[in-house]
Order: sequence, then C-alpha cells, then structure tokens
Amino acid sequence: MSMKTTIIPEDQKIEIKEETKRKPTIGVYALTSCYGCQLKIATVSKILEIAESVDIESFYMLSSDSSIHKKVDIAFVEGSVSTKKDLEELLEIRKNSKTLVGVGACALQGGVQSWSNGIKSYDELFENVYGKNKIEISEAIEAKPIEEYVEVDFRLPGCPPEEEEIIYFISTFLFGSWPEEKDYPVCQECRFAGNICLLIEKNEPCLGSITTAGCNARCISYNVPCIGCRGPVPNDVAWFDSLAKVFVEKGFTEEYIRERMKIFGSHHPKLEELLAKVFGGEKK
Amino acid sequence: MRYVKLKKEKIREFLLALQDYGELYAPIKVSEKYFDFRRITNEQVDEVVLDYNRTLRPPRRFFFPEKEVLFTFNSKKVEMYENKEAFTSEPVVLFGVHACDIVGLRIMDSRFIDDQPDPYYRARREKGIIIGISCLPDEYCFCNVRRAEFVDSGFDLFLSEVEDGYVIRVGSVKGHKIIDATEHLYVKVTKKDSDDLTAFDVKKSKMFTVSGNWDSLRYTLELNDEHPVIWMRESEKCLGCGNCTITCPTCRCYDVKDYPNLDGETGVRVRIWDSCQFREHGLVAGGHNFRPTKESRFKNRYMCKNAYCKEVTTAYCVGCGRCTYFCPAGINYKQNLIEIRGGI
Ligand code: SF4
Ligand code: SF4
Ligand code: SF4
Ligand code: SF4
Ligand code: SF4
Repeated sequence: MSMKTTIIPEDQKIEIKEETKRKPTIGVYALTSCYGCQLKIATVSKILEIAESVDIESFYMLSSDSSIHKKVDIAFVEGSVSTKKDLEELLEIRKNSKTLVGVGACALQGGVQSWSNGIKSYDELFENVYGKNKIEISEAIEAKPIEEYVEVDFRLPGCPPEEEEIIYFISTFLFGSWPEEKDYPVCQECRFAGNICLLIEKNEPCLGSITTAGCNARCISYNVPCIGCRGPVPNDVAWFDSLAKVFVEKGFTEEYIRERMKIFGSHHPKLEELLAKVFGGEKK
Repeated sequence: MRYVKLKKEKIREFLLALQDYGELYAPIKVSEKYFDFRRITNEQVDEVVLDYNRTLRPPRRFFFPEKEVLFTFNSKKVEMYENKEAFTSEPVVLFGVHACDIVGLRIMDSRFIDDQPDPYYRARREKGIIIGISCLPDEYCFCNVRRAEFVDSGFDLFLSEVEDGYVIRVGSVKGHKIIDATEHLYVKVTKKDSDDLTAFDVKKSKMFTVSGNWDSLRYTLELNDEHPVIWMRESEKCLGCGNCTITCPTCRCYDVKDYPNLDGETGVRVRIWDSCQFREHGLVAGGHNFRPTKESRFKNRYMCKNAYCKEVTTAYCVGCGRCTYFCPAGINYKQNLIEIRGGI
C-alpha cells in the first residue's frame, strides 16, 4: 500500500510560529522598611538570569521608571504599613497585581517597628521618636503587617529573606507551581547543621523552636541565639507558651520573655493568649 | 569469630590506617556536653574521643543524608536523571559506633533495604565500614531494656575495652581484610583480656538505672490506649521542634520537595528528613491532617518507637537517650516510658 501524500499549495500553507510565551511581569515595591529586602533581591547571584526570565515592570530601588499603577502578574512587597500613604500604595499595588507576595519581616510581621505594639501606645512611641514635631510627608499610623489590610498570596519571610528562597519563589512561579510554605522551626535546620543547642547548653534565650525555618539556622551557626526574625512558625504551631515555660525555668523574667517574643511576633494573634497560659491574666 | 588485641598506644596508628578505606568519621567533642561524628583527617586523629556518651547527630545520616537529591528532571522532555552521587562517593568509615546505634542501623536497613529497597541508601551502606566500640551507660541510657546493649552483627570490627587496650572482634569479610592489612598493629588476646571483657560486662550491667525488658510496652500502648495524663501533661511542654526525631538513630520519615530552576523546565527533586512532630507530617491532599494536635503528634512518636515496630526483632527505640538529652523542653522520654509501664 502506498502512502498518499497531500501537497498543500504554497499560498495555503500556514506558518507555524514558535509559540511566543509571554514572560511574567513582576514588580518590587517598598512601604516603610529599611529597603534591605529589595537590596537582597537586587543582589542575588542569579539576578541576571531572573531578569531574562521575567519582565521587571517596577523595582523602586533600581529604576525611576517604577510605578505602583502598572499592572503586574506578581508583586513583591516589602515594608510595613506605617503611614496613610503606605496604605494607599498597598491598596493600589494589590489592585494592580494578580499575585501578591509579602516579603520580609516588616511586611509579614510588622517588623521591628512593631516591637512595642501593645506595650506602648502609639502616641508615646511617636513622641519618643519625633518629640512634639509633626511629620510632613504623610500621616503616620501604627505599624502593621500588610496582611492586616490586604490579602497576601504567598509569604517570603526573613530579615532579609534568604537568596535560596528568593530564587525558589521565582522559579516555582516560572515553573507554573507555587512556593510551599515552611511550617517547621529553625531547630530542624540547626540540628541538621550540627550546631550545639544554645538553649540547652548555654541557657541562652533562643527563639529557634518557634521561628520559621529557612535560614539554615544562620545565627546559631555563629553562636548567637535566634531572635526570631523569620517570624513565628505559621499554621498555629509556634508554641509561645511551652517556650516561655522553658525560659522561666532558666531564670528569665516575664517582661524579658514577652519583649523578646514581640520583636518579630508582636502582631501574632496567639501570642498574648498563649503567654497568658503561663503568666496568667490577659496582660498586654 | 576472629579476635585480635589493639594496645592503647596503637590506637593512633589504627585510626591513621583506616584512612585507606574511605572517608573516616569519628566522635569528637564539639562543646562542653556534646559529641558529634565528624570528618577526621590525618591531622585530627588525636581529637577522636573513645569514651563519649552519645552523638548529637545519629549515624544514619551517613547513609540516609538529611537532604539528598533524588533525581533531576526536565519537564519538557519528560525525563528524569538519577543522582549518581551515592554510587560514586567514597565509602564512609564510621569509627566508634555504640552497640545501640549499630542496632539502629539494622533497623534502618530493615526498612530501606529489606522492606522498600532504596538504591541510594543501599549503595552507601554496602560500601560503608562500621567500627563499633564498647561503652558504659549514663543515666539517660536504657539500651539494656531494649535488647540493644550488645551486638553480634552489623559491624565490620568491634572494639571492646580491656585494661590496656581493646579486643577487636571481626564481624565481616571487610573487617578481616582490614585486620590482615594492619596485622603489625595487634597482639594476641590473653586470658586476662577475656576476664577483663567479662568484668566490663558485669560493671556495665550494674550501671543501668533500669533492668529487665520493655518489650511489653507494645501491649501497654496498643491494647490499653489510655495514658491521657501523660500525653496531655507532657505534650503541653513540647515545643514541636523535632529535635527528638532528628537526633534519633532510627527515624526514617522524609518529605519530598521539588526545586525548579529559573528556566521553568528543569529542576531537582529532593528528599529531606521529616518529623512527625511537625504539622505537615500528617497533612494529606485535601487538607485533612491525621495528627492535627500537638498531643496527637507527641503521642505518635511514642507509638512509633515502642509499638509500631516490624521487620526486626527489637523495638524501634534502641534506648540511646538522645531524645531526652537533646530535648530543649527537658521532656524525659525514658521517665515517661517508665510511667506508662507503671513503674520500672
Ligand atoms: S540552639 Fe535554638 S534553634 Fe538550635 S536546637 Fe537549640 S533551640 Fe533550636
Ligand atoms: S537564626 Fe533566627 S534570627 Fe537568625 S536569621 Fe534565622 S530566623 Fe533570623
Ligand atoms: S525534642 Fe522535646 S520539645 Fe522538641 S519536639 Fe521532641 S519532645 Fe517536643
Ligand atoms: S526514641 Fe529516643 S531513646 Fe529511643 S532510639 Fe530514638 S532517640 Fe534513642
Ligand atoms: S513517625 Fe516520627 S518517630 Fe516514627 S520514624 Fe517518623 S519521625 Fe521518627
């Protein structure tokens, strides 16, 4: 049997173009912060590779052509909402992005600027920093994580985030999947690294057991106890109460424990409730 | 079995000779209280500690690493590429392994070789060399009630302390070859040495703080599932930090994660040690969690180590004491087991 070949006349031929895949567009924005997260993203060793795989629409630290009004597929937002202007910008960014990634301790936990949340009133704090002056730029409000105002699709923690995780986030998006959230503590990576336990052996107030893993126990590897910069382990498995009990046994005071846990955890909805189990009352 | 004697003054030379057989790892002191198996080069042989209590990280990590690439993939070509590392790496020579940890490795074998053969684990294990050493228990140890205080297999060589050195028991063909190649280091075992070995055993057995056999814990835990006081009281203290499982010589759980590259097509699949003390361990598709509470996760480890045991003739807990020694919350696993048993 012979094969029948159909010859398509030249003028009827359809030119099949190599499918042109649109590169995802991203924006990198900052609210009130130290700009450290942006700096970290800008300086990852694979930044050129990233720049080839995505279209960077806005990146405030790198380009004056940036604008919160441009539409993007993925918005990376660092910084806490600490002024009315921050809030307006955040709402605009959320409106213009399909996916919003909260980046760093300020965006996700309110940052160190939230440390005194619930301890000192906003007015006291303001006076401590600015005295009787008025701020010209925008009206300041109590520092809060962005999640208090908008929906956050993914959380990229750290102060600043780790290079490995920045790459992981972008590469999963490019692959068509999404980054998995870590909900286990720094202790896992600390033990993997073969560090000694500073809490057991040196009685140091290490927050590793209630802090989200991902930094390869960076500080403990330098013999410094974890201060919790990656934020409390998500999904309600940060056991402030159990750790507070351990700290009490080691001789730390209630005030010290609460202050330490608040540096990067002051907005955690369970913090006071769990501490109350140990110290009693609904102390703020 | 074949026995030779290594005098104390020859230990150094013995360790140097072991370098010929692969990458040597042995216990060293890493802090005031802790020891860990670390890579020993010629310059570091003097740091090796022969009488340590327990290591921070368990021996299984040399055969089943904390993080390991299972394969690389290309999703466009729909192809996967094996990780050759386990097949091409130098053999690990692990010196100074206690009896309980050797039983621990046998338990790992039962799951990663006998039950669900794992080519990477097997390759590393088959070429690896295990050199055991005798030990005396501290208050955290209870290998005796787990039938793990003595081993007849699972080692290539086993060093037992006598007055002026070690009697080496040869446990494998590889062990024979090492002894043959280093014969000049040894002397004959005497009657005095054999008496010393017996005396050491008597001394050791008297040092344990518990006695008898805890095999019936299976029944206590599985048939009489009521120890609410313990589960509630103890899990309240728990930090869910996972140290108890990560340091345990017999934990086998792992998670699998994909790390794509920036090209959007290729990437690696990695396995990472998991812990039943973590929330995600019991999480399945659809969002159901088999162990949604800290209490249920806490209890699971006790069940896994003492009741959910199969393929071997001992419990999955070998009584090494790590999960108490390295628990930041100070939870005493051994004491809790005693309480569950209703006394010693
Ligand atoms: S040093 Fe801190 S992070 Fe490391 S194991 Fe101890 S408590 Fe966990
Ligand atoms: S160890 Fe703690 S404080 Fe240090 S980088 Fe990691 S999470 Fe942050
Ligand atoms: S080591 Fe202790 S605190 Fe940590 S998970 Fe295990 S039992 Fe809980
Ligand atoms: S359960 Fe604890 S005592 Fe038993 S083998 Fe594991 S770490 Fe050792
Ligand atoms: S279930 Fe838990 S205790 Fe059992 S092997 Fe896995 S991590 Fe270890």
